[in-house]
This record gives sequence, structure tokens and C-alpha cells, in this order.
Amino acid sequence: MSSSVTEMKPAASLGSRILLAIRQNIQTYTLIIAVVVIWAIFAITTTGKYLDPQNISNLFRQMSVTAFLSIGMVLVIVTGGIDLSVGKLAGFVSVVVAYLQFYVWFALFPNQLVLPAILSVICGLAVGVLAGLLQGYVIAYQGLPAFIVTLGGMWLFNGLLLLVTQGKTIAANQAVFSDIAQGYIPAIWGFVIFVLILVFLGWNVFSSRAGKQKYGFKLRPLYLDLVGAVIPAVLILAYILSVNAYKGIPVPVLLLAVVAMVMVYIANNTRFGRYAYAIGGNREAARLSGINITSVLFRVFILMGFLCGVAGVVLASYVGYGTIAAGTGYELDAIAACILGGTSPLGGVGTVPGALIGALIIASLTNGMQMMNFAPAWQYVVKAIILVLAVLLDFYFKRSR
Amino acid sequence: MDNDIILDFKNVTKRFPGVVALDDVSFSINRGEIHGICGENGAGKSTLVKILSGVYPFGTYEGSVIYNDKELHLSQSSIREAVEEGIAIVYQELTLVPTRTVGENVFLGKEPVEHGLINWNKLYADTQAILDKYQLDVDPRATVRNLGVGKMQMVEIAKALSEDAKVLILDEPSSALSKAEVEKLMEILRGLKSHGITCIYISHRLEEFFHITDRITVMRDGKVITTQPTRDVTQGDLVKYMVGREMKERFPKGNRKPGEVIFEVEGLEAADPNNANRKILDGISFNVRKGEILGIAGLMGSGRTELVLTLFGEYAKITKGRIRLDGKPIEPKSARQAIDSGLSLVPEDRKRMGLVLIQSILKNISLPNLDQFSKFFSINANEEMQASLQQAKSLTIKAPNLEVKAETLSGGNQQKVVISKWLMSKPEVMIMDDPTRGIDVGAKFEIYKLMNELAEKGVAVIMISSDLEEVLGMSDRVMVMCRGHSTLTLPIAEASQERVMALATGISTN
Repeated sequence: MSSSVTEMKPAASLGSRILLAIRQNIQTYTLIIAVVVIWAIFAITTTGKYLDPQNISNLFRQMSVTAFLSIGMVLVIVTGGIDLSVGKLAGFVSVVVAYLQFYVWFALFPNQLVLPAILSVICGLAVGVLAGLLQGYVIAYQGLPAFIVTLGGMWLFNGLLLLVTQGKTIAANQAVFSDIAQGYIPAIWGFVIFVLILVFLGWNVFSSRAGKQKYGFKLRPLYLDLVGAVIPAVLILAYILSVNAYKGIPVPVLLLAVVAMVMVYIANNTRFGRYAYAIGGNREAARLSGINITSVLFRVFILMGFLCGVAGVVLASYVGYGTIAAGTGYELDAIAACILGGTSPLGGVGTVPGALIGALIIASLTNGMQMMNFAPAWQYVVKAIILVLAVLLDFYFKRSR
Repeated sequence: MDNDIILDFKNVTKRFPGVVALDDVSFSINRGEIHGICGENGAGKSTLVKILSGVYPFGTYEGSVIYNDKELHLSQSSIREAVEEGIAIVYQELTLVPTRTVGENVFLGKEPVEHGLINWNKLYADTQAILDKYQLDVDPRATVRNLGVGKMQMVEIAKALSEDAKVLILDEPSSALSKAEVEKLMEILRGLKSHGITCIYISHRLEEFFHITDRITVMRDGKVITTQPTRDVTQGDLVKYMVGREMKERFPKGNRKPGEVIFEVEGLEAADPNNANRKILDGISFNVRKGEILGIAGLMGSGRTELVLTLFGEYAKITKGRIRLDGKPIEPKSARQAIDSGLSLVPEDRKRMGLVLIQSILKNISLPNLDQFSKFFSINANEEMQASLQQAKSLTIKAPNLEVKAETLSGGNQQKVVISKWLMSKPEVMIMDDPTRGIDVGAKFEIYKLMNELAEKGVAVIMISSDLEEVLGMSDRVMVMCRGHSTLTLPIAEASQERVMALATGISTN
């Protein structure tokens, strides 16, 4: 009845092909539309102030810490686990880094600015990785449920955080270090980056077409592939023009972009990534297919720890201080961002770009509500309603399919 | 024959993009009869059921379904409506809550309530009444998960009947039942018939139709080929109608020449992982030669699946005995080790253990074999696609392309995906646990041919099956298991159904 796989016919007409592409990506498009709608609503209610270049620039910067956490969280949830410690781990990293910046480096290297910053980054990442190793070991090798282990981790890191700060706020606003989260890429470099991205996208289109040709696979029409490259290029150009109108691309946003690309590559193009999705999709079948579940889970948590390290360093630099409340509640934002972005709580489904857009949605909401002077209590209520509504819509779409 | 028609399909056609699932289907079912429906996967049986159950409501198909002299007007995908009309379905996959009792399951959602509290006495009394009326021998207070599959099915039937069903549709009721349980089911259905309830019996097990049905409808490619009184057809006729050609032989003759012994198991013993004092494998010895098909027969509970899972490193810890592959001793402690040694396992339950259903065919086929397409860290997507396409083509997997999700395939095609994923790993020994379970006749034949081809290429094939005819039809030698230990390995010429059964039940050791 249905055709054999030997006859891979392309769909009938251009119209139906576009419709098919839309339907396949409807989740991503819905998210982007959601962002646009939210921005539009706030633009109206703040009489345009919301769309000020300065505000848009700040908005992307504000989302970066949560975004780092959520792109790590995607892989954790995809394998069927969860990590409740990411907030406090990032917070702990931020105070460790602050402590080093304030008490240690400048005592050791009195006239250096760059060296301490580099050392701080290294130490922050190391702390994150160590934490990931510890939690990953207990979860993967000892088989304890991730929920419990990371819950304990959250408490542990909170306690350690308080020990390090001794209840005080530690300054971490030294030059160079504070550039990590508060610096900007000069406008001209912004354009250079854009050109590089264009070149990369173009090369991608042609090399993948060449690859397919080599193997004798049918190619999509060139214009469709080009459209697929042009749309992101236009969006990126719009962003760069907008931020260049203020001070340039914020450094943490650039960092986020680079890290995100690496994570996308890991998720889609490596065996490790494939195994993670398979484990979440059907653990039993993954096991019987020879996947070393222990090793994959271990690495997932190490990766998460690393990203918490990144988030912690950026957090310290962004706030300029190591505070006793650092990181509180960030894990919930990270999880919400993933879910909004299409990650299934049951595992097996979820993308990094989705999580990024989810983080953007949450940051857009927070930023807008702050601009409108919403009381914090109401901000929580609104966020809750949006999150539940989004999941409801998602379920509805999936059910009627 | 009483011609009081309860269900009349008139020119029913159901279309999907690219596929006509039902093509001008017209036939009728008489009140109070047991009506069998058979057909290959994709013939349209489940689409019919979905129309009757309300999954495809009125308006989503052409033609009409006349139920009790009125046109069936089910709306908006509401299964409830169909149930209220008196049409109930017992699916292959049971829908009970295992942690609750029989009574709670039967009245799930419609518990008798008094002053806001559930009247448990009434619930259990009513449950007992239903069970008694239809002679279902189950304890209403038993917890469902402690029941065997056969009794669970009785609970499902009771649940359906508690809604005063007039038409009971059973979809593949016997695939998970033992012979004794199937007998019991037949009795129950005869009992239902005497109460005037109409049953529609859908099954791949053609021989069952001759024990129970009054008339049989055969479907193929969305059309009704014929509807006939059971006594007017033979099993051979049914197969011919289903497949559209004469199936001279159920089992294709192979052209294989078994070589030297490549896989040996000696004195294997293993402890039950749930109970260290119990031996789940108590003395297994057998060997397999290159290019041969070794069948493993035995009753349910004899430990066959446990054996192969243990051989694959994924079940019990081996306490005694040796495994040798190609002369070298191996001791797989994980699936990965087993695969690297050259073993592969097509598991018993393809949905639970063999496939990641939400992923594409491509990803399923390549999963254990990603090493073949990746240098350093990167997976070469083109090579992956090429190799997987090759597998899919040589196994004639029917799908529009490799990107569709595995869950959309029919049982036979799903099984082919599982087999191709293992073929890609180029095993020396291929273990297949009940490879044709739940698959239609045509696809079964294709899988038998595949097994022959595999053996002809020199792979040692081990096939476990509960279908004695299948074991005897395909194997070169048969190893019979009984209660955790191996009895004899018989050359096919010396194996008969009686002899194998005697060994399997422990009546004889010869």
C-alpha cells in the first residue's frame, strides 16, 4: 500500500512542500511568533521604550546566565533525568570566583588584570566540572535517582556558598573580569562577525549539497536551501544592527552563541548526542543496542557541570559581586526555558535552539514586566500562567496530530 | 442462518493522504454471531475498528455504517460515545491499571457513589455479578498485576461488558495467551454468544477461527475479499484470500550448508537476579554451527528468553559454565560486549526492547552501528543514510522514506527495522526471540526468507519460538528446554511435535 523505501519520491508541489516544512517545524515557528507577540505587546504598553536598542541589548544580556544553564539542561532532561542543583552550583561558582578575584589573585599578582581574569575563568569552570563529576558519578555509576542527588547537590552548594561568603557580599568588579559579562564587542567587529556567519552559512549550504550529490541523494531545489540560510542571516543582521546602535554585541551573548553552536553540534552530530536521545526515547532498547548508559549519563552531568561553571563566571561578572543569594531559583527558570522550548519532561525530545528561545521568552517577559513596574509577586503569577498555557497548547497540538 | 443484521458496512471508504485504508468496504455482521476478521497488516482491520470505536468519527469517512438499523453517528473522536452505544473493544495492549484491583478496574470512572463516597461493597458485588454472569473466573479483589495475562484479559472483557456492550470487538486477543488460556477465552466467547452478544474476533492465528467463529471476513489492501461461513472454508483458503496467491509452502526451503561449530554453550548456570537462591538457568549445553538455523523450543517459563538475554550479557549473572565463540571463551557482561564479540539479539518485544519508537527508521537502524560512520566525534550523515538505505532496500521495508518515525510502521516492518539494525553490525551469531510474533502471514514469509539468506551467508542463527510448527519448519536442529535446563538437541529429521512436546514438558528425557 505505501511505497517501498526504494522510491523516495519528493512531495507533489511547491505549495505542499512548504506546508510540510512548516508543519515539521511548527513548534519552532510558534516559539518565534510568541517572542514577536510578547515584544509587540510590551512595545505597545511601554510606548516603544521596550524596543530601545539599549533595552534589547540588556535583554539579551540578562538572559545569558539562564540560557547557559538551559542549554545544558536540555540534554539532561532528554536522557530522562533532571538537575535541580544548577542554580546553586552556578551561584557557588560565582562566589568562588568572586572570592578569588577579591582576595587571592591580586595578592599574588599585584599589577595584573588579564591573568587573574583568566585564572578565575579556569577555576570557575573547574569547580563546575568537579561538581558535575561528583553528581554524575553518583547518578550514573551508583544508580541513584537524579532528582534526589541533585536536590542534595543544591543544598550542598548552597551551604558551601554561604561558607565561602561568610554571609558577606564579595566584590568581583575588577576590570577585564567585568568585561566578561559587561563588555561589548565594538561595532566594526560586529559586522566582521556577521560576514563570517554569512560565509559559514553559504559554505554550509554548498558543502552539504556537494556531500549529498557525492552519495547520489536527491537534492532539494537550491533556492529552498538558500532561503533556509538567508532567514537566519537576516535575523542575525537585524540583531547586530540593533545592538550596534547601542554599544555593540554584548560579550556574554557572543559567548552564548559560541557555546550554543557547540552544544547543537554535540546533540546532533556526535554519537554521544545520539545515544542521549536514544536513552531518553527508550532506555531498554538503548541498552540492548549496546549503548553504555552509565558512561553517557556520566558525561551528560559533567557537561551540565561545565555549563554551570560558565554560567557562574558570567554571573559573577554580570552582577559584579558574589552574593549570598546567588543563583537562587535559576534551576527552575532553566527547566521552564527547556519545556517552553519543546523539551519533553518524559525525555527523548528537545532541542538546544528551542531552549534558547524559551530562555528568551522568559527574559523578555521579566524585562517587560520590570519596565512596566509590575510588583514581583505579579511577575511570578504571569510567568506561571504563560508556562502552563504554553505546555497546554503544546499538548493540544500533539494530541490532535 | 439467522439474518438479523446488527452491523452493516455500506461502501465505507477511508482515505488518508497517499493511502486508501478502506476501499468501498461492504459486509454485514449478524446479531449474536462470532464473526472473524483476518487480513495482513495494512489490510484495513484496525481502521475498521477505529471507525466503530469513534476514533474516526462520522464525517471522516465515506459510506455509512448501520448499527441496529440506524446510521452510526459518532462525533468528535469520542470513544465514550461508542461505548455508550454498546460497542466495546478489547485491545491487544491491555488498558488496566496494574496496581489496582479487578473491581476498581472494571468500574474505573463509574464507581458506585453514595453521599460522595465510593460504595465499595456495591462495587465488588456488582463486579462479582458480571463475572458470574459471563463465567469469568477471576477474584474481584485481586490486584491486577498479580494476575496472569489470561485473567487480565478476562478483566478487560468484564470491563467492556459492564457497560452493557452489545458488540464486543477483540483485537488479537490470543497473541499473549497460552494454549490453555486460549481455550478458556473461547469458552467465554461462546458464553457471551449465548447471552446474545455479538463478537468480532480479529486475529492472525487462523486456526483459532475454526474453533470459534460462525463466519469469517477476509480483507486485503483495504478491500473485503470475501465473507463466508466458517464451515465453507479451509485455512488454506483463508491464506489464499489474504495473500492473493497460493502459498504452497509456509516455510521457504533454504539452501544452506551448515559448517563447523562456531558457538558453544557448556553447562551454563545462572542465578535469578531477583532471588539469589533460585537458579534461573540450571544446566544449558548446546552448540550452533556456521550457516545453520538452530531452533530453541520450550514452554512458556522454560527460560528461553532468560537464556538469550543472559548470553547477551543483560540479565542474570553466570555462576557456572562456559560460552565459546569461534573457539574463544567469552563472558559478555553487557550488551556492548556481546555485540563486540559478534552476537546480536532481536528481542522478544520489539516495541519495548528493540526500537526507539519516537525516532526515525534511520536512527533506529544506525543506533548500534554509529561507529561505522564516525571518525573522531562526527557522524557522517550521508554515509549513515547510504548504509541504512541499503539495509532497508535489501529487507524491503515499506515506508515512504527513512525519516518517518518507527512507530508509524506495521509490526512486520518494525521487525524488519530491528533485524536490519543488527544485520548492519555483521554478527557471527544472530539470536532471534520469537521473530514473527504478531506479524501477518506475508511478512512472516519474508522474515523466514531472510533467515535463510542469513544462514546461507554463514551466520549462525538461533531462533526461539513458541510456534512449534515454525520451529520444526525452519530449523536444522532443535534444542528443547524444560524448566531452565536444556534437554536434547535433535536433528530435524528426528524431531516431531510429539517428541519435542514430551521433552518440553519433562515427560520424557529422550
